Amino acid sequence: MSFKLALRNVRRSIRDYAVYFLTLTFGVCLFYVFNSLGDQQVIRFLGTNGNVGVVEGIFMLMGVFSAFVAVVLAGLILYANQFLMKRRKRELGTYALLGMPTGQVARLLVEETLLIGLCALVFGIALGILGSWALDRLTVAMFLATPGEIFSFSVSWAAAGKTALYFGAIFLVVMVFSSLSVSRARLIDLIRSGRTNEEVARRPLWLSVVLFLLGCVSLGTAYTLLLTRGLLRIDTLWFVMLGLGTLGTFLIFRSLSGFLLRLTKGHPGYYKGLNMFVLRQWSGKVHTNCFSNTVISILLLLAIGVTACSVGLNDTISSMVGDQTPYDMTVLNYGLDDGSYQEADIPALFREIGVDPDTSFASVESVTVYYNDPDITGMPAAGYYAAVGRSDYDRLMAGRGLAGAEGLTLPIRTPNAIVNGPAADGIVVVPDEMLAQLQPRRQMVNINYAGDPVQVDGQIQAALERAGTFGGELSIMLNCKLDNYYDLMGSKILVLYMGLYLGLVFLLTAAAVLALQQLSQAADNAQRYQLLSKLGASEAMRRSALIRQVALAFLLPLVLGVIHAFVGMTAANEIIHAVGHVDSVHSSLLTAGLLLTIYGGYFIATCLGAWRAVKEGASE
Amino acid sequence: MEPILNVQGLQKVYGGRGSHTQALRGLDLRVFPGEFVGIMGPSGSGKTTLLNCISTIDTPSAGSILVDGTELTALRGRALSKFRRERLGFIFQDCNLLDTLTGLENIALALTIGGADPRSVEERSRQAARLLGVEEVLDKFPYQMSGGQQQRVAAARAMVTRPALILADEPTGALDSKSTGLLLKQLEELNREEGATILLVTHDAFTASWCRRILFLRDGALYRELHRGEMDRKAFFREILSVMSDLGGDDSDVL
Repeated sequence: MSFKLALRNVRRSIRDYAVYFLTLTFGVCLFYVFNSLGDQQVIRFLGTNGNVGVVEGIFMLMGVFSAFVAVVLAGLILYANQFLMKRRKRELGTYALLGMPTGQVARLLVEETLLIGLCALVFGIALGILGSWALDRLTVAMFLATPGEIFSFSVSWAAAGKTALYFGAIFLVVMVFSSLSVSRARLIDLIRSGRTNEEVARRPLWLSVVLFLLGCVSLGTAYTLLLTRGLLRIDTLWFVMLGLGTLGTFLIFRSLSGFLLRLTKGHPGYYKGLNMFVLRQWSGKVHTNCFSNTVISILLLLAIGVTACSVGLNDTISSMVGDQTPYDMTVLNYGLDDGSYQEADIPALFREIGVDPDTSFASVESVTVYYNDPDITGMPAAGYYAAVGRSDYDRLMAGRGLAGAEGLTLPIRTPNAIVNGPAADGIVVVPDEMLAQLQPRRQMVNINYAGDPVQVDGQIQAALERAGTFGGELSIMLNCKLDNYYDLMGSKILVLYMGLYLGLVFLLTAAAVLALQQLSQAADNAQRYQLLSKLGASEAMRRSALIRQVALAFLLPLVLGVIHAFVGMTAANEIIHAVGHVDSVHSSLLTAGLLLTIYGGYFIATCLGAWRAVKEGASE
Repeated sequence: MEPILNVQGLQKVYGGRGSHTQALRGLDLRVFPGEFVGIMGPSGSGKTTLLNCISTIDTPSAGSILVDGTELTALRGRALSKFRRERLGFIFQDCNLLDTLTGLENIALALTIGGADPRSVEERSRQAARLLGVEEVLDKFPYQMSGGQQQRVAAARAMVTRPALILADEPTGALDSKSTGLLLKQLEELNREEGATILLVTHDAFTASWCRRILFLRDGALYRELHRGEMDRKAFFREILSVMSDLGGDDSDVL
């Protein structure tokens, strides 16, 4: 009997439940997408192509992030549930008034939660499978220049199981909370809840100031810890830092409304137009808002920080591919086993293993580099392992259409790489006459393929495999552009995949929560705006008040989130510096663009939705 | 003396072809500055329709309404909002204070919407609260006040802009007898000492007995008019009751 009632309740209050249901479904979907990342085809492709470290890294990060995400989502769901309970208190009070024992009311709630939770789980995972597949496809399209592999639709059962387990636990907590709050509530509070919107704290000014300062201090401490210790030292103090940051954010939001209200109240602008109304609309929700605002600004921090860092790092890696591999292939001849220099006819060696250099190669340029003797060249031995003659350098550059050493004071570090890969680092250009005094060190041969590079590369790799050896007694190494490309692509996918994935998802979550929060207040708002209309506030006045109200809700968490992200990225940059230089302008612009599009889009949609709700409410 | 409210030949028809209800049939009505007028009548007599037309919430089918020389039926959109906030004050039966604002701020809202000088808003609101005896609840939120206090705050909000006409729609409908008496006493004082013009719609004889003049409506037209004159309130109350029993209507409206 009570299950039937629960079912009917859910169906009847579908409008209230829609908010809750969407939040849940979105949470489940997000969680599934996260955890199926390791099972995604692109990642598996990378794993089988030699980049095992990348895949392990993804799994390790996933564990840490999943725990964090689960906590965030649990908070979110509890919040959504609490909101729902508040709207239904009167209804629950009526059950109690009609003589239903509190135990049974609580059971009713448990059954409703169960029903909704199950539906959300099923829908969420289904949506997650779709989402994860779509993102997989997108990534393939973005990263694989030649999408030869076709990735099929797949379901990650491990991820689905993990999602069900985590959300089962979260629902259990929600059930316990809601039944506890019902059995502890007094009937009078339930019945009167339609009138008492929210207890408005009457805290004295000094308490707001003290709380605000306390928040600033704990936030400052967290920032200092982060900046002095760096981002990646994960120990006890790291968690202290995280805790202090969260606490500081919370305290600031908690005291801000009281603080701001009292600050502006003395100002004559408070009594101008609907300013007072807008400010009160916002501060009236302070108790629930300070919690959700904290979560939202942390989500925004993650969104901004992760996106900006990953985009910056991706740019760094991208530019490395172009810079480091000017030729399709460089053959490095290390000479004989004892290290002595021995020049070889590289095209002939290729012919030996069955690759015809005349048809496969468009150009073959050989160059000899010499030992750098600091006494002769004047360049330090540390950092410069070899020297190249000026005419050789000019010849190589002319082949690529680049400027030679003309006008430069020699000896000097090579302005452009003369070969593929790390061997190009630490070579100096010296005048040709100096070469006579230097010992030859290595032969380097730059080759550009004729025809389709992928095909030629494939032929060469196949021929090498067949022959088993290359170059006889000489030690020879090949540095191919495509090999480099695949390697770098792996790092690129790891960085960008994780970064964009996390960043976008966090951004969407934050914006969605805010939108849900604002839209769910529409019913209360409709009444208030209707009264404003009766009192003679024009439509333009009411609309601007509503927009300001929504803007206030969206902007405050954003401001703190941006400050957090700025500090966080300063710390992150130090790590990225170890890898390479980060193009901060480009990554900041891209992040700002994403933020503006998604957050701004949600903001506009929320304004429109809220305004429609207010107008509908007024016409009823 | 020029009437502050001059209603002539007011008609209101609801519904379209087939079935239509004539809520008002050519009603004439005048209210002069400083008057405290009550409008009574059984359910369906057109009280609420009349009030809605005067308060610009509804538009009449025919006839004219002049408030302080302005023809209401000609006003549209922005001008209508402006007229409403500058020339009229409202007291509704229920749900008329914003739950997010304190008592003071609820009163101040009427001023700030009208674009009053922000520096004078607080002082003027306090003054209005003093007139209605609700100074002690100025810092409280509506749910912390009693129903009577809420209604008196609403009355303060209605008069703080010094409107030409204060419209009260069943202001005592949700109040107990003590709060009703208190609210009406304050309204009467407002009328007598501040010269505020009040038009009060009610179906309650006790509430009506505080007015100076009562108009009885029946089937959308004026049925009778009662002047209090030198009568004391108790005698006036009995007079009203006798008119009401003549009027018929439903018995529940008596007392």
